[in-house]
Order: sequence, then structure tokens, then C-alpha cells
Amino acid sequence: MKNPFVPRIEFAFALAAVFLAGVARPAHAGWFGKDDPLPSWALDAAKTPTPAYADHSSAVILFDEYVETIDAQGRAVEREREAIRILKPQGRHHDCSVSYDVDEKINSFREWTVTADGKTFQAKDTDFVDVGGGEEGIVPGIPVLLVTERTRIVHPPAEDVGATIYCESEEQIAPWNREKVWSIQSTIPIAHQALELDLPPGGHYADSWHQHPPVQPVEVAPDHWRWEIDNMHGLDLRDIHVHPAWRALAARMSIYWGADASTDKDAEWRALGQWTADLEAHRPDPTPEITAEAQKLVAGAPDFYAKLVAITEYIQNNIRYFVIERGIGGFQAHPAGEIYRNRYGDCKDKTTLLISMLQAVGIEAFYMPVDDRRGVVDANAPSLAGNHMITAIRLPADERDPRLMAVVAAKDGTRYLIFDPTDERTPVGNLPSYLQGGYGLLAAGPLSQVVALPVLDPAANGADESGTFALAADGTLTGQVDALYFGPEGGNFRSFLKFTDDKERREAWESFVAEDLPGVTLDSLRFVQPDALSKPLEFHFSLTEPRYAHNAGTLLLARTHVLGSAARLPEDKPRKVPINLGATGRWRERYDIALPPGYVVDETPDPVDLDTDFASYHAATTAKGNTLHYERVYTVRKVELPASRAEDFRKFESAVLDDEKGMAVLRKQ
Amino acid sequence: MRKPLFLQGAFVLLAAACSLAARAQFQPVHPDELKMTADPKFPGADAEYLDYEESDSAQQHSQSYYARIKVFTEKGKEAATVQLPYFANDFSISNISGRTIHPDGTIVPLNVKPEDLVVFQNGAIQVKQTVFNMPSVEVGSVIEYTYRLYFNEQNQYFAGVLSIFQISPEWTVQRRYPVRKAHYQFLASSSMSVMAFPILPPGKNIQITPSNPGQPLYNNFSLDVTDIPPIPDEEWMPPLRSFLYRVMFYYKAVGDALDPDGYWKAAAKTWSKEIDHFATPSKNLHDAVAGLVAPTDSDLTKAQKLYAAVQALDNTNFSRAKTASERRDLKLKTERNAEDIWTQKSGNRNEIALLYLAMLRAAGLTAYAMQVVDRNRDIFDPSYMSLAQLNSDVVILSDGGKETVLDPGERMCPFATVSWKHSGAEGLRQNANGPSRAQTPVQAFSANAVKRTGDITVAPNGAIQGTLQIAMTGQEALFWRQRAIKVDAQELKKQFDREIETSVPEGVVAHVDHFLGLDHPDKLLLAIVQVNGVLGTTTAKRLILPGFFFQTRGGEPFVSEAKRLEPVDMRYAAQDVDQLTYELPAGMAVEGAPEDAKIPWPDHALYIAKTRQTSGQITVARVLARAFTLAQPGEYQDLRSFYQKVAAAEQAQIVLSTATKEITSGTTSAPVGTE
Repeated sequence: MKNPFVPRIEFAFALAAVFLAGVARPAHAGWFGKDDPLPSWALDAAKTPTPAYADHSSAVILFDEYVETIDAQGRAVEREREAIRILKPQGRHHDCSVSYDVDEKINSFREWTVTADGKTFQAKDTDFVDVGGGEEGIVPGIPVLLVTERTRIVHPPAEDVGATIYCESEEQIAPWNREKVWSIQSTIPIAHQALELDLPPGGHYADSWHQHPPVQPVEVAPDHWRWEIDNMHGLDLRDIHVHPAWRALAARMSIYWGADASTDKDAEWRALGQWTADLEAHRPDPTPEITAEAQKLVAGAPDFYAKLVAITEYIQNNIRYFVIERGIGGFQAHPAGEIYRNRYGDCKDKTTLLISMLQAVGIEAFYMPVDDRRGVVDANAPSLAGNHMITAIRLPADERDPRLMAVVAAKDGTRYLIFDPTDERTPVGNLPSYLQGGYGLLAAGPLSQVVALPVLDPAANGADESGTFALAADGTLTGQVDALYFGPEGGNFRSFLKFTDDKERREAWESFVAEDLPGVTLDSLRFVQPDALSKPLEFHFSLTEPRYAHNAGTLLLARTHVLGSAARLPEDKPRKVPINLGATGRWRERYDIALPPGYVVDETPDPVDLDTDFASYHAATTAKGNTLHYERVYTVRKVELPASRAEDFRKFESAVLDDEKGMAVLRKQ
Repeated sequence: MRKPLFLQGAFVLLAAACSLAARAQFQPVHPDELKMTADPKFPGADAEYLDYEESDSAQQHSQSYYARIKVFTEKGKEAATVQLPYFANDFSISNISGRTIHPDGTIVPLNVKPEDLVVFQNGAIQVKQTVFNMPSVEVGSVIEYTYRLYFNEQNQYFAGVLSIFQISPEWTVQRRYPVRKAHYQFLASSSMSVMAFPILPPGKNIQITPSNPGQPLYNNFSLDVTDIPPIPDEEWMPPLRSFLYRVMFYYKAVGDALDPDGYWKAAAKTWSKEIDHFATPSKNLHDAVAGLVAPTDSDLTKAQKLYAAVQALDNTNFSRAKTASERRDLKLKTERNAEDIWTQKSGNRNEIALLYLAMLRAAGLTAYAMQVVDRNRDIFDPSYMSLAQLNSDVVILSDGGKETVLDPGERMCPFATVSWKHSGAEGLRQNANGPSRAQTPVQAFSANAVKRTGDITVAPNGAIQGTLQIAMTGQEALFWRQRAIKVDAQELKKQFDREIETSVPEGVVAHVDHFLGLDHPDKLLLAIVQVNGVLGTTTAKRLILPGFFFQTRGGEPFVSEAKRLEPVDMRYAAQDVDQLTYELPAGMAVEGAPEDAKIPWPDHALYIAKTRQTSGQITVARVLARAFTLAQPGEYQDLRSFYQKVAAAEQAQIVLSTATKEITSGTTSAPVGTE
């Protein structure tokens, strides 16, 4: 799904850029003439001193102003003026760029640089490059998403420390776009920024704010509004552990225009949902082939759940993720018949085919735009800002199958099962962890609304591992591990199996085990992957680790927690952002280590029993005869904690880490 | 417009245009191919090229491709996406057709129009890629497609260089998936001398057939290969281009020798002449040198002073190259020589190296240029008879018969040290007797050392506090000094923190306090690091600490990689030394400590660990000296065994107990040192 505020230019070709940057070409006439004087807005911006709070930043945006001019048909022309001062060598990459698609047009794009010693340069045609966009999937070098959208980037002349870059651009925005997402926070500070909305006479607008208190606009002319914000600090999460997504924390304002724009949030969500439903209307209409396939799949299914499993697993197993998006194709799916024939598509295509097949067997389902980064979709900030599409399946009133866990209730009491057909490995009824605790827009025509996505019980996700080992007197550990992975965790491991071959799988697993057992050799590795996604995935492997235990005089030291670390220590600084716990779940481990002949247990680590509202941890080591038994159960109950709970989280995780490092002291008799 | 830019990925330049009659229609797929589920010759492969054909014709200015691919696994379904990058100004892609054949024989034709996407555009230059996705691909499917790449002859810009652009295909013989059978053909122009540079499996050769019997120049090249393994993917491989199976075609100038010895002899003379032309010291350069050195200076001192002078220039490989428009605005000359570089106080790494050569000569010293292949990118191969493979200039100073290789274009590189990329690198050099092929010296392990020392106070509960000193010489110091050019001091500290975060024990936090010697490449680079946190684990009676502070997270390479197909390339020899002293909590004594260890890999590497215990202190030291740079696959098991032993030894612990009696087994009271 097209994300209105995330540029998709990752899949550019660097080598081509490097090669071509060095190719001399005859000069062409400029788009904008040559050597224009520095405009007055830039002269004004130049007077802005570098704010003190920008001292630690690589660059600072002194001025950034958007003017959105809306014509009578609702089409926008966007002008942006921006001044960036480079403060440090690494600040040079803060260039200006403008993204545009097939139904958009850049009217003008100019750049000037004023160096620290006052020399002025203006970028020429050769300083501008266009790059295409896309995204690679898990397999390096193979894209899963390509787009017709391009980004025009200016490489400013004289882009050195102390220089200020001034950019001015004007772009005609796609005719279907009725929303401007104003990113009011960046990774670097912004000293002064503004947005103007110039509506046709009598035009409507609505604004909503995320991670920032609403700012009141000034009507600078009839139907012409201006918002201003000063001194916005940069948001840099690079050295903060277990943080939510940057987009979830960054402040933004969304503004909509047109007859549907409403300051009532429920009404605005409803309008956005209606727009989505209208856009996708008839896309899911089943073809005879789809109907036949769907009916064949559910033939003999004993109940509603079985029908869902048959159809969702068909989509998950047979529709490959790939798409080329063109213009509004970033939002609009392909027709279901086309997707079914080609067996590939993106998230909205998979949702379309799922809705189509469900419709063919009498089950109603709806589009649900979301973002796969928890916290980006904000119930209090209606917007189409998001990057993903999932499916809401309407449940019959009497359907209470306990396997259908990811259920939400709409305001009218109708219950919907939330399902992500793009996640090829999480079974229907469950929900990928990245979606839990977020919000989605139920695009159900006039019943459209934003809904909170459920946080599932820990029992829906996790692992159960057991290991039986023998420890030799020279410290060598040999043994067998049997593990079951279920829910989204099982889905992750199934994806790992899908995207690795035997060699990669073995190497990856050996590397994973080697994090705890650095000299390990995997003697065998086997997995059992049941066809039914709801069944746990099994891994069975045997290993040898020379010198697992270490002699210290007459002592032999052996870690009781053999494999796998769950500890996630946050950095040792005052916490300002929430703590992202990732996923709810329950992870259980049991290890038995047979002691070498002649050794007895002298000491074991103390048991750990922690129980909080967000997680619990119970671990204990016991000695029975010549066997050392370790057991722990780690349960996570929440997906996010506020920053104010940082100390609680640190204490909890420190105890987990201490337990994982715990040693048994063995003494020779 | 605040949008992050991520430029990544790979690009295959389709800089050749050729021809071959494309398959007008697809042939029936053999039932055995539909039934097959794997190829026993390549177990675990996700997909396989059952057949691949490429035919290039300089005469027809076109190039035709055909591929038939079997999908074995879910991951192999990614073969359905076909990307064809090309220069849109000069080439076009057409005649695309394809189909998917299911295991039951059902055929689904490609009927979605391929998308033609812009990858990159700068002024009139446009790189595009045609993309299509094969329909209805399943595990077991056979994918089949063909297309043709045409050279647009009407293009005016390249009209003058058409003959250069149309005639140098590169056959990519080794691919992402194994190739069961492939056929390549190149019908080359007979007006010029075509050369082929093949890297092929043993026993495989290009066939050359005269297109016109009786003519002296052959121009019909072909190659048939079978059972080509996929592109290897292993850590620490030599540059991929140095061993990937491929055939590169290029043209020789009239009069060029056709044998490598003859070619390189002549090419070296040409190259040397061009170097001397660039580096001839002008009067202004003489004057500049006179102002930098004193007549009484020794030759070595003069060389050092001039080295410092060129190192101080703006090296655009480490700062920023001026854009073309900026250079025009500043009225800077385009054609450049050594004097221009000095006058402009700015140049790229090769220009600065040759400026240094010119200044040495202006000072009356004996100095030679040497141009090598950057070892990070490729390895010199004399059978590829082209100066294009040489890319990095270094300078050889001859002082009293002793030669020293210098790397002035490598910013912050100490005098008489070279970047590893230019060590053990082959190329051409000038000499008193004329230019010839040569290789730069390989660096000794002692030249690239990291020594981490520290004193850490341990509390009874395992909490620690202390200071580390990380001393770097050679390549590690060069790396951080060059990094410091590109970022400010604060960011450098953050980046260094992130680096050491991966090597200190979990629960311990390390922050750089300051650096010493960062701006002085000829001095030791020292990072002073503060550490604190909780180390080790406690029991009722004991405190157990990791014996080797920096090795608790593992990190030794090759430990978990059982087999090896390609050589191991460690880039440069090096030595790591750690020596940490723990100040023990009052009332606790050492009950057990890491045993002294000596793990040799004869003629390659040596590991030594020693422990020294005194009252209230225990010091653990280790040295890992790696004298080798390259190891062949046949040596891999020895290499792996060495690192496994090292990794296992480094898991040893220190046991402190409240008991008064000290157990000294495994420790020594001798001073800690290295052999």
C-alpha cells in the first residue's frame, strides 16, 4: 500500500548513480534559467541564528514552509521553501528532494547554496538527479515492490560545513489526493516551520495532530490559513534501545480538504473509510474461476473456522508478494481475477483476493488500512498515513470458536476477525505481533471507523524448548534440543524456512546457537513443518560444545541456562520514549544436564520469581541425583510500556540477564 | 521534502548490444524437467537454469537472451521476477515473451505488459529497467522467457563512439542459481581485434571460429558450459569479481601486442609516459617545494615534510568533490596536472598521490609511481590485457637503495604505511630501468595492532567500574582517523561506542571519554573508555566473572561454518592484545582462573593466554597474532580448528570466593607478557 509520507526509493541502483555521475554530457538548457538571485524568503531565513539546541545536530532546518493551494476541483499545488544549515560533516546528506508520480508534475525546483564565507551558488541541471524507487524483500537483489514514483534530488554545490542550502519547489499533486501529511518533526531540529492552506472560496478543511498539541491557524486571507511552529527538536533514536518506530513517535499534522473534511474525528475516519471502500469497489468481484476455486476449497469444511482456514491458507501459500505500483496503484488494488490468474500481488491485492474468495462462499470481509509499525496509526489523528492493508472478516453473531482470537467489536457490536493475508505464516485467528496494539481503519462504507487491534493473550504466541545434555569432565557438552514454536513466533520461523535453503538454514541455526555456545558444532538439524499453520513448528537438533564447562581448580563451572537469551537491557540513561516489548507470548525452557561421573553440585544460582503487570519470569535450577535441571517460563503480557516505567523494565531485564548468566558450581568428590 | 535517501542494491550495466535470432517460439518442455524436484548435483538449490542462451552480434547491434528456469522451492519462486536494467538513451528492450509451465503441463503465458521504470536520470542520461513477473509460478514450475536488447544507432551523442559501445559484452556464466546448460555466442566486429578475458571452470574454454575463412582476425566466439554452481556466498571471500565465472570481451588498439607479456611491456611504457606527463614538476611546483623543505634536510625528512603537505590538502575522496557547475562557477580548470592540484589545494586520492610524486622529484629525490588494483575491489590478472583494471596510485620512494611504498592519497595514512587495499596489490611500477609489473609488499601482522588494556574494580555483587585504553596502530587506526574526517568528534565517539558495545559483556556499558592522537597519523591512536555495569554472576558463596572481558559474546570468525568453497581473505594480517586487571573485592580470593593457553596454527597464527594473580588483583592477558591474509579452502579445517579452540578457551571464567584459601591451579605468578 502506498504510504503518503514515506518515500520509496530504497531500490535505487547505486552503482549506476556512481557511474553516471562521472559521465560528462553536453549541457542542456536549464529548467529554471540560470543564476537567479537569492530570493527574499531565503535572505530572511539566512538571518536566523543557529539555535543553541541544535548544537549536537549535524544540520538544522532554519525555515520550512509549505503552501498548499487547492483549486475548485480539489487538486493541490504544493510549494515548499526550505533552508538547511549544515553544521557538521555528516550533515551534508540533508539534501532537498521532491517525489512525484505519473499523475504528478514538478513545476519548478531550484536550489541555492550560500557558503560560510558568503559565496552564493545555484544548482544547475547537472546537479539534479531522478531516482526510481522500490523495496527489496528478504532475498537480496530481488524487489518485491517497484513504483513508478520517482524522487528528484538536488546535490547542492558547495555543500560544506557552515553552508546554508535554500530549496524552493512547486509540484502539482495527484488529482485524487485530498490529504497533506505535514511532518513537523525530523531527525534534525527545525527552527521555524509553517504550512498554509489556500482553499477555494467556501472550502472545507480539517486538521488532526499526532504527538503534538493542536496549533491554531491564522486566517491570513479569506479561506487561506497558516499554521506556524517554532523550535521543534530533532528526534534521534539511534542510541535508544527497544524503542517504538520512529514514525510512531515523530510529530505530524494531517490536513484534509474537500466536502468530506470534518473536524469530528469519527466522521473523518468514516470519510476515509468510505474513500477506501469506493476506491476498491468491485475490485474483489469474484470471477467464475475464483468462485469455483473458493467453493472447492471449502467443500466439506465442517465449520466456519475450517472454511476460513481453507481460504486464508490458499492465499498465504499461493499468492507471491510482488507488485509494481503506478500512481494511485499505491492505494488501489488490482482486480481479483487478475491477481488469481497471476498468483502475485501486494498486501491490498492479497486482501482483495481474500475478500473475493470469502464473498464467493458467503462470508463478508472488508479492507482495513493499517501500518505495520505500531503507533503510527493514531485514533485521535484521522489519516491515510499507513503502509499496509489487512482484512477484517465479519463474524456471524453466533460464531464463538476460541481459535478465532484476533477479534474486535465495532461500535454497533458487529465482531470482526482481523487477519493479515500478507503474513504468509501466521494462522488465521491469530495476529502478527507487529499489528497487535495498533489501530486500523475498518473500511466498511458508512460503517467505517477506526478500531483498536487486539493484544492477544500470551498463550497465543511463544515457544516450548527442552534439552537433554551430558557434560563430560573435560567440559564438553553434548545433547539434543527439541523445540516447538507457535503463533507469530512459529510464523517467523516458518518464514525463515521459506527463505533459506538447507545450507543457509544450517549456517544460520549454527550461528544462532553459537551466540551462546561459541565453539558449537551442530551434529544434526531437523524440522517438522505441519501444513496446518495453526500447528506448532518443530525444530530438533543435536549439538556438541567443547569446553562448555570450565575447570577452576577442583571446580567445574557450567551455565545452567544453556541456550537462547531473552534479556533486552535498555540503555542506562533517562528514558523519554516508550519501551517497545515487541510481542506478547510465553517462552518455556527446560534443560537437563547429566553431570560427569565423580562430580556433585556445590552451588546453583538462586531461583528468580518476578511478576509484574507487563511480564513475569520464573526460573529455577535444581539438582536431582547426577542431573542438573533448569527451568524457566518467561511471559510477556504487554506490547509497550510508557517511558515512566523504564526503571521497572530495567530491573526486570537485569534479573533476566543475571539468571541467563547463572553458573552451577560443580565439585569433584 | 525531508526525506531520507537510501541508495542500495546492485546494478548490471548492459553496456553491450549484440544479436542472435531469438527463439521465435518456445519448444515443448521435456517431461523429465516437469517432474524433477531437485538436481542431485546441486542439492538444496532453490531453482536452476535448465538452459540459458545469450547471443550477441556487433553487426546487428542487438543481443538476445533466453532462459528456462526450474523452481524447486518457495524461495526459488523469486526467480519469477525479471529485472532488465539498461541505458535508455542508447538501448531498448523488446520482443519480450514468456510463459510458466506447471508440473502438470499447464501453460500460463506472460500477458501482463512489462513495466519500464526509471532507475536513474541525470540530465540527458537515463537508466531504466524493464520489469516483468512471470505469472502463476509454483514450486515445480518451469519459467521460460526471452527478450532482445537493441542498440539505438540513431543516437547522436554516442554516434562517435558507437564502435566502442556496441562490441564488448560480458557473459555472466555464474549466476544466482546453478546452471545446468548454457550456450553463449558473440559475433564480433572483424574490423578490430577482439580479446576475451575468461574466468571459467577448469577444462572449459571459449571456442573461436573464423567468420570469414582466410581472414587473419577471428570474430565468432562461443562457449558451452554445463553444471555451473551458483554464485558463492561466504564470509571473508576475496573480491567476487576476481573469481566469478564470466567472460569479458574488449578490443585492442591497432598495434597492441596480443600476448600478456608483450602487452604489459608496451602498456607499462604508455602508462609511465602519461604519469610523467602529469607529474612533471613545473617551476611553480619547484618553488612550492623549496618553500616546504630546507636544503639541509635529509632526503627522508624532505619526503616526510612533503608527505605532510599533500596530506593536508582537501582530498575529495574523503570530503566532497565539487560539482561540475560549482567548478564552472569557480572557474576551475578541468584538465589537470600536478601543479593544478597544488594550486587548487584539492584533488582526489590518485591526483594527490601523483602530486606527491611530482613534489618528491622537484625536491631532487628518486621516486616512482606505481598503479595497482584496489584489493577491496578486484585482483590483478595479467591475462586481462587492459589498463582499465588498475585504479589506485601509490608512490615508491628510493632512498639510498632502500625502497619505501607510500600512500599519500589515502588521507591520514601514516608515512611509510599503506592502506591494506594497496598492500600485496599487483600492478605496474616505474623503475630506473623502465616500467614493469610489480606487487606492493604484504604487511606484517605487527604493523596492524589493537591493544586493549584496563584496570577494573569489582564490587562483591559483581558491579564494576574502570577505565580501558584501546591503542591502535596500522589499519584500525587508519579506519577511525578516516572516519573522523567524515563526522564530528561527538558522532565519532558514538560510532566507537557502538563498535565496542558489541564486544563488552552484556550488562556492561562502555563509553569513549576521549581520543588521543586522532589528528596525528604518525602517532599511536588511543581511545580512553570508561566502563561500568554488572559483570558476571553471583552465587551464595562466589562471584564468577568472565575470564576474557572482550570475548564473552563470542565473535571469533569461522567457528560455526563447517565447510568452505572459496579462499578466506582476511584483508590484512593483524594482532590483537588484551590485558585486563581486575581489582578484587575485599575479602574475596581467587578460587579459580583461566588456565594459561597456547594455541598455535603453525606458520599462520598463534594464540596465547596467561593469567597472573597477586594480592587483591588478577590480570588476564591474551594475544591473537594472525600472520596470514589468505587461506585456501584446503587449509580451512585447520583455520576453523584454530578459531574453535580459541573461542572455547575464551569461555573460561574467574571464580572468586569468600574462602580465604586461594586455589592457584591454572594461574601463574610470572609477569604477564607475550612471546
